[in-house]
Amino acid sequence: MDSHDRVSELDRHLVEFAQLLRSVGLKISPSEISDAADGLSLLGLVDRDRVEAVLQATLVKDVQYISAFKEAFRAYFASLEQKQAWQKDAEDKTSQWNEQIESTRKDLRFQENELDLSEEQRAIYASLPEKDKQRLRDFLEKSSNGTRSGVPVDHSYQPMVERVLRGSLEYWRKKLNEEEPIFSPGSTDGVLSEVERALRDREAEVLSRDLKKISAEEWPEVIRLIRRLSQRLASQVTRRYRAARRRGGLDMRSTLRRNLRYGGVLVERSYRSRRRGRPKIVLLCDISGSMLKYTEFIWQFIYGLSSVVSGIKTFAFGEVLIPLTEKFKKGQRFEVMVKEALAVSGKEWGGGTNLANALETLRSKFPDTLSKQTLLLIVSDAQTLEGEKAAALLGGIHGQVRQVLWLNTLPERRWVETPYVKAFLPSCVMYECFTLGHLTKILNKQF
Amino acid sequence: MPDRMTLDQFENELESIGYITERNDRIALTAFLATELGKPLLVSGPAGVGKTEIAKVLSQVFGAPLIRLQCYEGLDETKALYEWNYQRQLLKIQMGREHLSEADLFSTDYLLPRPLLQALLSEKRTVLLIDEIDKTDSEFEAFLFELLGEFQVTIPEMGTIVAKERPIVVLTSNGERELSDGLKRRCIFLHVEPPSVNKEVRILRAKIPNLPERLALDVARAVNILRERLVLNKIPSVSETMDWAKALLVMGKTGLDPAWVDATLTLLLKSQDDVELFYREMGAERLLFESSKLAQGERRVHGQS
Repeated sequence: MDSHDRVSELDRHLVEFAQLLRSVGLKISPSEISDAADGLSLLGLVDRDRVEAVLQATLVKDVQYISAFKEAFRAYFASLEQKQAWQKDAEDKTSQWNEQIESTRKDLRFQENELDLSEEQRAIYASLPEKDKQRLRDFLEKSSNGTRSGVPVDHSYQPMVERVLRGSLEYWRKKLNEEEPIFSPGSTDGVLSEVERALRDREAEVLSRDLKKISAEEWPEVIRLIRRLSQRLASQVTRRYRAARRRGGLDMRSTLRRNLRYGGVLVERSYRSRRRGRPKIVLLCDISGSMLKYTEFIWQFIYGLSSVVSGIKTFAFGEVLIPLTEKFKKGQRFEVMVKEALAVSGKEWGGGTNLANALETLRSKFPDTLSKQTLLLIVSDAQTLEGEKAAALLGGIHGQVRQVLWLNTLPERRWVETPYVKAFLPSCVMYECFTLGHLTKILNKQF
Repeated sequence: MPDRMTLDQFENELESIGYITERNDRIALTAFLATELGKPLLVSGPAGVGKTEIAKVLSQVFGAPLIRLQCYEGLDETKALYEWNYQRQLLKIQMGREHLSEADLFSTDYLLPRPLLQALLSEKRTVLLIDEIDKTDSEFEAFLFELLGEFQVTIPEMGTIVAKERPIVVLTSNGERELSDGLKRRCIFLHVEPPSVNKEVRILRAKIPNLPERLALDVARAVNILRERLVLNKIPSVSETMDWAKALLVMGKTGLDPAWVDATLTLLLKSQDDVELFYREMGAERLLFESSKLAQGERRVHGQS
């Protein structure tokens, strides 16, 4: 009986631990939990290090989740006092958050009526400096007591006031999010919120950090990652097949199988399907002012790709299209190379963007680059002049090439605010890509 | 060799055949776990850290023959599992036109077993190494599910073949491609990092018995710095470190000096890009300076503990 109880206690902990891992992003199946249980009964529970090793070997199947696993293990198997402290902390934070949101309900009123605002908008208000809060409250008070043609305004003006307030909060959201995103307190579970906090502190190393914020010392690590990712891209692109429109080699095995019915006389023949050739990658990189912060990333990506895929054609574009035909040299700065190319064309680095112009030039001056074999890769934040024209041109090119992939350095939630993103979407597959984590995900999904 | 052993016994066995592990690399524990639970072991890590070696070592420890399937792009079941001997089948058809049934042609006499089937058909327990699984197509990976999950394969003309003796399966991956969840779920996972200075010294001393300790330390520290500080296209592997140490030993060196680093660098860095990078960002003198700094750091930690 006793041993039975102990086993089920172990199982309960294992399942709970697996749930915790799932909530920080790991995929864990029941069969893996059962492997972990078998492993633990084999190696015992005495040695903490061994327990960790068994759980890691059976539950974590991807290198990128090892740090999340380590944090989860540390938090889940912490002392009871520690866990209670985290629990209290999480509860305090949640109640504080709720209080803040609640207080905004009192603050943000129009003629004693509560305003229709989302929780995020309320959170933005709560995180503003007192001075700016006061300004918004003053505005609400003034408009509540305002008059129109000598007549006091009534509640029918509320939607208008809400719109003004939302606009103002939206402005603050952009300003605040740029520096520090507003986090809700997350889970009320102490252990989970501790793991989430630890992972946020680590920022999952460099993977989830915005590429423009990565410091000089961290670049070697990032470069290594980008190199690995581009190698993956290079080796992946060859693994695509197409139906045998033209004949490949004779498939002896299937030919003989088909002809056994004729007594082994080869009447019908089968052919192997032809391998689809490597796509020709054409890279279009935005080097306008808004993209300056990402130049190091773009450069490393180009260099990583060009060192593993031969025959890649790279173009930079700002107001005009600039072919970067020189062979890339390790150590040569992207900026230097682009500046050299710009000196030839007499243009300036970091100006405006005109994708339409760039695409038009690409079509007229470099028609060979666009074929059914082409994978057109655009790295840009989609902030361009003549967006409609660019979208129409991209639509045309979309039909000419195998695929158009767009890596957008703007977060997806901001796409709605960017005028032409919607117009580009039908002609390309667009991904948000401003962290290495994004790049990894894109390559996993796409290749 | 006893059929079942404890983890301690397993670790001792590894040591006795000269395979160096450290407690915090978890190689011994994870490999032991995989063999005891009868699960395939999936080993990932950069090239040259000794992933393939693990399979070889398991084969030695368990006295099981090693069967190796080297994966490559386009590998299919005719190369990995089985192929019918068409020439023989044709001859048979020509000879016995009148009284031939299909079963005559699809028997084991006409079957050419490839590595995977060889491992299943073997009377003795084997170690099956599926090397660089990330180089194959995802279709092939899916095809492996039956083998890795149930240790059986289905040949349409013959039915299901179940392993006579479950092989110890080791899969390796360089992480070039994301493996499918199905495959990962069926395996025990081990990630191997390049060895620490201490471990590499132990490996060098075990494999090259007459290597002086000072040279082993110098070599291991220098390689460690190359791996950590430079963004190389290909980091030096353990076997390349060994080649380097051997070369220096043959030249009668007892320690490193800049001239010899320059002269023998190509044993470690095998591409022009990497060599250029080394001279641009570090150079031999700086490498030796950094490695002496590393040595001081080690001594300080040692002194404190």
